[in-house]
Amino acid sequence: MAPSLGSALRKSWQTLSSIKTGVVLIILVVIFSAAGTVILQRPMTEPDDMARAYSPAMLRFLDATGLTDVFHARWFVALMIVVSLSIIAASVQRFPNAWRYFSRPYKSPDQNFRRALPLQASIPISNEEQGLGAADRILRKHGFRSERIVRTNSFSLFSERNRISQMAVYMVHASLLLIFLGGIIDALVGWRGFLMLTPGKAGNQIEMKTGVSRTLPFSILCNAAGEETYSDGTPKKYWSKLAIIENGQEVSRKEIVVNDPLVYKGVRFYQASYGRTGKLDELVLNVTPAKGGSSQQISLRMNQELALDADTTVQLVEFIPDFVVQDGHVYARSNDVTNPAVHMVVTSKKTNVATNYWLPEISGVAENASSPYIFEPKDLKTGVFTGLEVSHEPGQWAVWAGVVLMAFGLTFVFYVIHMRLWVVPVQNANGTLSLWIGGSANRNRDAFEEKFKVLVEDLRKELNPVPVPAELQVASIAGR
Amino acid sequence: MSRAKVEQHPATGMTLVVMVGLSILFLLFMAFLNVVKTGNILNEANLLYAALVFYAGAGALYLGFGVTGTDSYIKFASLATWAGLLANTAAVAHRWYEAGHPPFASVYEMLLSFVWTLAALTLIAEKRYGVKVIGTITMPVAIVGVVLMQLLRSDVRPLVPALQSTWLHVHVTLAMLAYAACALSFALAMMFLIQDKMKTETFLAATSIFTAGIYTAILGRFEGWGGFNVVAWDLENKQEVFLSRGVRLFVTIPDLGWLMLLVFAAVLAPMVFYLLAAFRKKEIFLSIANRAVFISILLQTLALIFFLLRTRDGQYPSLDAEGLYPTSLAASPFILSALVGGIFANLLYLLLLWRREDLERLLPSAENLDRITYKTICIAFPLLTLMIAAGAFWANRAWGSYWNWDPKETWAAITWLVYAGYLHMRITRGWRGRRAAYFAILGFTVVMFTFFGVTYLLPGLHAYA
Repeated sequence: MAPSLGSALRKSWQTLSSIKTGVVLIILVVIFSAAGTVILQRPMTEPDDMARAYSPAMLRFLDATGLTDVFHARWFVALMIVVSLSIIAASVQRFPNAWRYFSRPYKSPDQNFRRALPLQASIPISNEEQGLGAADRILRKHGFRSERIVRTNSFSLFSERNRISQMAVYMVHASLLLIFLGGIIDALVGWRGFLMLTPGKAGNQIEMKTGVSRTLPFSILCNAAGEETYSDGTPKKYWSKLAIIENGQEVSRKEIVVNDPLVYKGVRFYQASYGRTGKLDELVLNVTPAKGGSSQQISLRMNQELALDADTTVQLVEFIPDFVVQDGHVYARSNDVTNPAVHMVVTSKKTNVATNYWLPEISGVAENASSPYIFEPKDLKTGVFTGLEVSHEPGQWAVWAGVVLMAFGLTFVFYVIHMRLWVVPVQNANGTLSLWIGGSANRNRDAFEEKFKVLVEDLRKELNPVPVPAELQVASIAGR
Repeated sequence: MSRAKVEQHPATGMTLVVMVGLSILFLLFMAFLNVVKTGNILNEANLLYAALVFYAGAGALYLGFGVTGTDSYIKFASLATWAGLLANTAAVAHRWYEAGHPPFASVYEMLLSFVWTLAALTLIAEKRYGVKVIGTITMPVAIVGVVLMQLLRSDVRPLVPALQSTWLHVHVTLAMLAYAACALSFALAMMFLIQDKMKTETFLAATSIFTAGIYTAILGRFEGWGGFNVVAWDLENKQEVFLSRGVRLFVTIPDLGWLMLLVFAAVLAPMVFYLLAAFRKKEIFLSIANRAVFISILLQTLALIFFLLRTRDGQYPSLDAEGLYPTSLAASPFILSALVGGIFANLLYLLLLWRREDLERLLPSAENLDRITYKTICIAFPLLTLMIAAGAFWANRAWGSYWNWDPKETWAAITWLVYAGYLHMRITRGWRGRRAAYFAILGFTVVMFTFFGVTYLLPGLHAYA
């Protein structure tokens, strides 16, 4: 069994590393990701919308196959793993060859190599040393530093540029694997949740997308939160002043805005939403005695009792952000502070009379006329909340490292070309001597071919300065 | 076909140049009178108007060149393009200065930058690579872009918090450059196929499939008894009418749907005759197919005209809300570009049909085109990579996650994969010529879907673009 198992392994390894498998895998990834954008996806789409879009049988099928949450389905993850394996296998299989190129450059070409090389030229020479010297000069002129290769009975020249280019593909493949690694780490240990805070409150319970909550080892305190708008009312900026409290001590502090999160111990806090709680924070009033006299400014908080004089106190008992009156009762229509009403109780200790004071004066419930004081609203501060998106994605560092590596790798792949040149003096069958020049480039061969032709032409001129016909010579001088 | 022969004689004279020159002067003079009246010279509208005038002149000359093959037109055409580009640059600079951010934040600003890029690329392709005929294709697109801009809300609107990021500008700039490079590689691959002696009738089939695809997408808006759904437009605020957050209100234009259906049948006709010609092996069907292309262009133009007229006037009922609502061209940029794109593709086919020999003479050789296509993709691919990376980085700062599998992201990744496939086949398998050209065309099709299709058909986070 052992040999057959071995051969099966070898075979699957070969299949995995072949470019054909790679392309088939790319096509599969493309098809399934495209499906994931066309078919409505589970966590984002409400169940009602799903039910409306698909028939029950269809929905059962889609759910069973995982097509309603493609990007988190097991088989999609498995596919990505196979893609990673294929990249690894393809790289590993080709790497030794490339590494040989890289570490042990082929410097002195043998006869077979010389015969098979597509890009080559031959120039007759009279003297080996003179030919190699001329070639060295010409190569230098074209920016190639050459190296003299000494073998037991021969001399030749070898020159190359940008050998690193041979490694570039592996850089790109490694970067892709790094990005995948980051994604896998985040899928396994990363998490995302939501935290809602009101100014002055601290919290450490993160509500996760899955519904459970997670307790942080430190708590986050919101000192203040607010918004700024442009003159036309569109939002300009949302901000929250946050502080991290760990072991009873403030260890970090930052004002976050959209696009600029607070990061502490790998946990990131993003400004995600902002709004009004519909609760009263502070009410500022002008108070004037009903009998006349000087007015004063007071500020009230919810349920707070304040003495106006030795006998009279006032208490804020009710705040309705958006009131509506029906059948002699006051109701709240919504939590938006669009049409607010406040209810205060003015009490006299001596007479023990409590007066219901409403602002605005709602007929039927308000007894404003019998109050010993007249209240005039000055300012109304309602409570706000800030919604923080909280995430922990430790894998992102692998992702960013991968991105940087890929940028370098792609630069090397596309714009850095490994070029090699060989110059070998050859004894021909008829006894004459000629200089064999061969060149190869790993990419952009057509441009290299042009370069090679120019180089060979230069070398030919250097070696055999052809006497120019007299007439032509005159013309060229006149041309100058 | 006889018509083509009549036009074959070498066009002489500078009639077209003189006419275009005079019309440019006339339009600029009218504009000057207007400027004198208002006393404000350097505002964006004037600059854009100047750009439009010059682009229109350049477009006319490039078209004249494309049809007659007179080389002298090119000189004046590129001169006009230079002038237009200058005015366009001033408009972009003005916008940038006024808004305080690069002009990528709204559809209007995107178009402004797009037209600028297109004009710049035209000049580069012409001067640097000698692809003279490119203006025949790009200038009409630039003109449509500038005209469309006149309809859109152009005031500088403040940026909502999520868009206030340098990374957004990096992301969008890279996207524009990458998509432009992809578009160029597509055009080059098409030219390669022409130079590679691909049969003219194959282009007929491709054009027909493309146009049929456009009208299939358009007929997605077909409603009930011949109605045609378009987004309602709030004329006062110059924006779409929303029923609720992210849900647009559609109004139904009666009877326009029938016309679209008719045009759909008309654009299918060339395909039917092409198939008949292919299977019955009779040449006669091919000439009928070519005539059908001509008819389909006329009908498509009719559809465009009716679409323009009916979206401009009147108020239409909606299935989702009571009352009548107006609409506007600006509410349907995708339908408008689809209609124009269909006509344009068919006109290009006619250009090929009638002027193939001239085109073959003017275009670079097949090997050169093959190589330039590859080089363009070598530029496009790193740009695509960086565009995705910058987008991921921005998303990480704005939403707290670098990858959300949102449709636009996914399709950007698919685009990347397609081009990665192209590069692997080319580098390791030595794919050249036809197969590589098909791959480049496929890549650009996916780019187009990512750019238009995803926004038009699929919902997602990318509500801004």
